[in-house]
Amino acid sequence: MAPPAQSHRSPSPSQPSGKGEVSDLKSQLRQLAGSRAPGVDDSKRELFKKVISYMTIGIDVSSLFGEMVMCSATSDIVLKKMCYLYVGNYAKVNPDLALLTINFLQRDCKDQDPMIRGLALRSLCSLRVANLVEYLVGPLGSGLKDSNSYVRMVAVIGVLKLYHISSSTCMDADFPAILKHLMLNDPDTQVLANCLSALQEIWTAEASKSEEASRERDALLSKPVIYYLLNRIKEFSEWPQCLVLELVAKYVPSDSNEIFDIMNLLEDRLQHANGAVVLATIKVFLQLTLSMTDVHQQVYERIKAPLLTLVSSGSPEQSYAVLSHLHLLVMRAPVLFSSDYKHFYCQYNESFYVKKLKLEMLTVVANESNTYEIVTELCEYAANVDIPIARESIRAVGKIALQQYDVNAIVDRLLQFLEMEKDYVTAETLVLVKDLLRKYPQWSQDCIAVVGNISSKNVQEPKAKAALIWMLGEYSQDMQDAPYILESLAENWDDEHSPEVRLHLLTAVMKCFFKRPPETQKALGAALAAGLGDFHQDVHDRALFYYRLLQFNVSTAERVVNPPKQAVSVFADSQSSEIKDRIFDEFNSLSVVYQKPSYMFTDKEHRGPFEFSDELGNLSIGAESIDNCVPVQQVEANDKDLLLSTSEKEDVRVPTNNGSAYSAPSYDSSASLSASQTSTDLVTLEPALPRQASPSLAIDDLLGLGLSTTPMPAPPPPLSLNSKAILDPGTFQQKWRQLSISLSQELPVSPQGIAALTAPQALIRHMQGHSIHCIASGGQSPNFKFFFFAQKLEELSNFLVECIINISNSKSQIKIKADDQTSSQAFLDQFQSALSKFGTL
Amino acid sequence: MLQCIFLLSDSGEVMLEKQLTGHRVDRSICSWYWDHAISQGDQQLAPVIASPTHYLFQIVREGITFLACTQVEMPPLMGIEFLCRVADVLSDYLGGLNEDVVKDNFVIVYDLLDEMIDNGFPLTTEPNILREMITPPNIVSKVLSVVTGNSSNVSDTLPGATASCVPWRTTDRKYTNNEVYVDLVEEMDAIINREGILVKCEIYGEVQVNSQLSGLPDLTLSFVNPNILDDVRFHPCVRFRPWESHQILSFVPPDGQFKLMSYRVKKLKAAPIYVKPQLTSDSGTCRLSVLVGVRNDPGKIIDSVTVKFQLPPCVLSADLTSNCGTVNILTNKSCTWSIGRIPKDKAPSMSGTLVLEAGLEHLHVLPTFQVAFRIMGIALSGLQIDKLDLKNLPNRPYKGFRALTRAGQFEVRS
Repeated sequence: MAPPAQSHRSPSPSQPSGKGEVSDLKSQLRQLAGSRAPGVDDSKRELFKKVISYMTIGIDVSSLFGEMVMCSATSDIVLKKMCYLYVGNYAKVNPDLALLTINFLQRDCKDQDPMIRGLALRSLCSLRVANLVEYLVGPLGSGLKDSNSYVRMVAVIGVLKLYHISSSTCMDADFPAILKHLMLNDPDTQVLANCLSALQEIWTAEASKSEEASRERDALLSKPVIYYLLNRIKEFSEWPQCLVLELVAKYVPSDSNEIFDIMNLLEDRLQHANGAVVLATIKVFLQLTLSMTDVHQQVYERIKAPLLTLVSSGSPEQSYAVLSHLHLLVMRAPVLFSSDYKHFYCQYNESFYVKKLKLEMLTVVANESNTYEIVTELCEYAANVDIPIARESIRAVGKIALQQYDVNAIVDRLLQFLEMEKDYVTAETLVLVKDLLRKYPQWSQDCIAVVGNISSKNVQEPKAKAALIWMLGEYSQDMQDAPYILESLAENWDDEHSPEVRLHLLTAVMKCFFKRPPETQKALGAALAAGLGDFHQDVHDRALFYYRLLQFNVSTAERVVNPPKQAVSVFADSQSSEIKDRIFDEFNSLSVVYQKPSYMFTDKEHRGPFEFSDELGNLSIGAESIDNCVPVQQVEANDKDLLLSTSEKEDVRVPTNNGSAYSAPSYDSSASLSASQTSTDLVTLEPALPRQASPSLAIDDLLGLGLSTTPMPAPPPPLSLNSKAILDPGTFQQKWRQLSISLSQELPVSPQGIAALTAPQALIRHMQGHSIHCIASGGQSPNFKFFFFAQKLEELSNFLVECIINISNSKSQIKIKADDQTSSQAFLDQFQSALSKFGTL
Repeated sequence: MLQCIFLLSDSGEVMLEKQLTGHRVDRSICSWYWDHAISQGDQQLAPVIASPTHYLFQIVREGITFLACTQVEMPPLMGIEFLCRVADVLSDYLGGLNEDVVKDNFVIVYDLLDEMIDNGFPLTTEPNILREMITPPNIVSKVLSVVTGNSSNVSDTLPGATASCVPWRTTDRKYTNNEVYVDLVEEMDAIINREGILVKCEIYGEVQVNSQLSGLPDLTLSFVNPNILDDVRFHPCVRFRPWESHQILSFVPPDGQFKLMSYRVKKLKAAPIYVKPQLTSDSGTCRLSVLVGVRNDPGKIIDSVTVKFQLPPCVLSADLTSNCGTVNILTNKSCTWSIGRIPKDKAPSMSGTLVLEAGLEHLHVLPTFQVAFRIMGIALSGLQIDKLDLKNLPNRPYKGFRALTRAGQFEVRS
């Protein structure tokens, strides 16, 4: 699409500039108004056309209002339509003159021809002038009783328009009750659908004002209404079907038979030609089965094919909308889509936004069986003409590597990228190699050999340069000329525009200095001097800080700046799972396209007429409400179980799978800088419960052991743990350091347990099933080390566990620390029983 | 629900504005839209955009931008799908879409929009129903209007179908020659890597029917091998049960041309033609040769073969010749080699040299070759129609069947 040459269009010379032409038209209209000569309709029609074309161009022709109304006394339907169009456009700004039109519109509402009756009624309601509403009630009332369905259909929407102009008039005339009657009795489905949409809007708006309206609104979701609509669904045309399906998705069935009945009834909608119907049906299926894990899985399998067909059949715009929904599902359950990865291959002339979605999907569906092919495909894109996509693909390769599949081969490929000698490829790759090294330090030899050959002059992008400098500092002992490269960088300090790079340079020079002092001394001096004179506050401060540290004591400085690091096991995810769940609940809405839940981008008032408030699920349909509560609440808990179970199934098939996208967040015990940054992020994103918790925990920490040592009342004998306990790694560390060991014991591990412990993730998932959560894990066969934590259900009392399992002698070493020491024995018992069950399931 | 629909011309002019709800959307949103489009540069705009005040759905057809605005949450596919239908209906009515034809017929466009959407909610987009409410401006009606002086294009009667149980069809169609044509139209999407291996190959197909039948006919269409279909989608007229149990399409057709079914076939083993590009670069020049030929002869003539590719920006000039067909290089460095029909006696080949930018030894960015072809008389997926039965018809109609396969996204990497 060629963007317009000028965004602010000045009227072209051929276009009328306004005034003169309008007054010309005015006099011509005047002449015709009274004329009854034959053929006058044709000349009127030409004039009307001109008026409307001016209106369309944006010229103000409202001054012709009077003349237009005068000319409107005609039986010609085209003239009428054009007149209605004109009147509808200008009535709002000319409320007084609009009164003139009421007369002929009202007369047309009683015309013989149903088409004219309908059109007149529609125009009458579209005037939207508040002081004319009294004239609307009569025609609307008779329109709703009209024998022709076209007129009724228009009248129903008319009621809704009336409601928006003056809600009290609409309510006083008792129109909603009439609509309800029509909805349940009218033979025409279009009338019915219009009633449904009007009633939803009216009652949702009224619900805040009156009890009755909110009852009526909820009644739309009652079993009789839903069943009535479902039974007629095939009579509806495609758009009303979407409306009905949208409503059904909010219905809470009382038992599973009902769910299956509804799904059987709607199954063929998945094959509908209209993509909107298909997506609405999918939403119903997903929502209904949220509480039924197995069926939910089957639903995914069932909807896969229709979704993939939709993607390949429509226009690029339709494909995009479908793809964003597919993207959501793939992100939730990548395992189910891992065999369909070829559908996510990018075609050459697809647009950027489509390719980007596809790349993200390729990244998550990668598993050990398809990684080779996916990475091969991604490498194709990296060599592509399209630079943004090439960058995205390199990032995707990196992400797959961080998912731990086939790291060996991927590192080789990444290093090949560096040899491609394209600056953007090199830049992206450097950033990735840096991240990879932070996670897999064992690859440093191979990477450093290649990275050492890259001239820092060829790297211009700040992020890439920072990455390169970081590597120079971190691995300076392995890189022959690291000090000299750093030195030349430090000397050209002023050419470096990005503060990020300068910060990295300072740190890198420091690290290098500790490893190779004599060679680096000069570089360090240059860097510190330049840093102290830097105009950027952070850079200046850091230089000063390093300077003073060095002054104080060099060995302390080394311990501060360059302590031994442990590999980062998981990088933080940018979007919390809670937000992802919210988006999933809003399936088939704009949220999915924007990848944000709607509360993040729409105002409450704009939440949409069909958006029922959250409490609805609980308070619907009177007596059944208790039953209804259950599935609604189960939903959240089940969401997570569901996904866990998918990856567990995968594990059973492929026992060597180490590391799945769903494993519990396992932070490294000695959380490095990045992990502690992460934890602050997490705190802000966590749901309400832990947010309340954290202040008190913080106080805990401030007062040392103040609160926790005060003896607690005896705990209730059966110890119940919070299955959704949350503790951030930072707090965990702090507590671990502060609390003393309350119990320490050696426990045997069953042979089955040892057999099942091929990867730490297996145990982590098992323990999570017993409400004991893992915060960090590590080690390699034969010794595995885990840190677990658990929280009491009612109170904020934590148990921290260090568990070292030795496979070779089938023993586990358990150390327990607790906020409340009195209950630690009970917890140990529970922990022991949970551990003993591992591997037997 | 949608609040407003704009039709914008290529030069940014508002050709048509249709306010749908009480909330008036100001035209300034269009200038925001263009500013946004310009700021995105060459990149295509996403179909769903958030502006500071509204959410916009946009599709572009033949240089016309259909822009819909809303402030409320709604199913995105509904907005996009609706705009697509509007574009289809308009191009059906006006015999194509372009700026002039929309401006000439803007009254009809307003009329159509009036019937298609009310208060922001789509009513009907079924062309057959709309045609009965608003007569399309065809040549006959133009002649008629000149002769009789009555140029109303709004029909006097309301469509009977809105009330009938087959909303896509009126009952009182009469034809002297009853005819029905069934076309299988397939598109092959494939990716072939530089070793000549099929990375991905899939066929998307449609069963298109053109029915000119009197009364209320009942048709059944069956296939020899329906089990090869991976997934199917139907026109609303298709009854679900017979397909479920016997894979038979049973339906009362709409009048005229429509898409009865679309389907997907995966796991195809071979492409009908091969394209073998070879690039060897050495000290600033690159030698390119492309060979094209028939592989797995489908038994029918392959024609309209073209090979398109974009030369990388680092190529300064290109000199390409072929032994068959013509080679065109445009100023934006896109090359098109039109071969036409593949001759029986020789294999078409194109070769030549590319001169690279100074300082570049080798070509790092390799072009992707997009191939187009057409094969008449065969559906490459192997799908075959068994028979078509017609009931409820006074006399024996004429039945015609055709098949066609063409390349969809068929690309060869080098």
